[in-house]
Amino acid sequence: MDTLFGILSVPTFWKILLFIHFALAVALLATVTLQTAAALMPARRAAGPFIDRFRPVPAVSYATLIVILYVLQALMGAWIYIKYRTYVRIPMEGFRHWWTVGSFEFKEHVVTMGLALLPAYWYFWQQPSEEHASIRRWVTFFLAFTVWYSFVVGHVANDFRGVGS
Amino acid sequence: MTQTLDLDERTSRLAARAAAAPASGSTAANASKFETFAITFGIALVILYTICERWNWPLFTYHPAIDRWDFLRQPGQPEDGPPMFWYGWVVLSGMGAFVLGLLATRVSVGWLQRATVFCCVLAALWPICFALAGIIDERASFNAEFLRSVWVDGIPALAGAAAVSSLVSAQWARRLWTGWLLIMPIGGLAILGYSLNTYFTR
Repeated sequence: MDTLFGILSVPTFWKILLFIHFALAVALLATVTLQTAAALMPARRAAGPFIDRFRPVPAVSYATLIVILYVLQALMGAWIYIKYRTYVRIPMEGFRHWWTVGSFEFKEHVVTMGLALLPAYWYFWQQPSEEHASIRRWVTFFLAFTVWYSFVVGHVANDFRGVGS
Repeated sequence: MTQTLDLDERTSRLAARAAAAPASGSTAANASKFETFAITFGIALVILYTICERWNWPLFTYHPAIDRWDFLRQPGQPEDGPPMFWYGWVVLSGMGAFVLGLLATRVSVGWLQRATVFCCVLAALWPICFALAGIIDERASFNAEFLRSVWVDGIPALAGAAAVSSLVSAQWARRLWTGWLLIMPIGGLAILGYSLNTYFTR
């Protein structure tokens, strides 16, 4: 780490990490949203001419990618959380941004609940059966909620003190 | 934009393929064991995490300002900066859920599903009893402070959970089993979200 900090300043290092966290979040958001849409509103007819030009991708194939991205994001978030706790949250409390602090605290819990469901989510998509069709759909929806909530709250916290703020 | 295939058609095709293929017994047994592990792990992690957070039971504490790790809960000195407990809650509840998930693969499915009903109903009834005890203590004309003990509130919760788990039919226990995967996180988030109300009411 000392060699790295010889090349980069400490704030730049954390900003790069935060940007990677953001880029991974966008990828996760896109995949989980597409899969949730496919699970909740399956296309029953052939799509129109514009969409026809794109290769169809089965919702099943997203599951492993989503699990990998979710775990990576949780680990990245856990790392950046160290900086948030000392560098962001303390001034946030000083400025009395209680809603932002509370929403970010809730994000910890939301992400943990999402992590808890990941093995079952992965299993339901790898072993698709009619018996689990409903729970598969709603677990996917719940995961999408955790990703969207974390993205929005993380973005608000970043606006307070982060990349480009 | 990407077009997605019809999920129902896709899943029924895969299910039909799986049924047609001469799957070995050990593969099917492994899939079934993983299903048991995954569902139990999910439910257990949610309950254990909520308990660890509410009772503040981290496996370790991290002090980011001085880069120091302490075993269990160690708030430290004010000059050490803010302590972080979240890592400790996640690791402790994750380890507990992992062990419970492994144990679940070694018991009969019927027994496991009934035990899950007991644990989930207990996890739901206990905070309800605690909240009701608080209301009774506030409004009662007699001294009902003893009701505020979490152990006293556990008695009706335990009795209720035992009654429900013994009365529920095996068919309902089986139907509910995967449903707990959604019910418990939503309930857990409701409890944890309520605990943060001081941030939203200042």
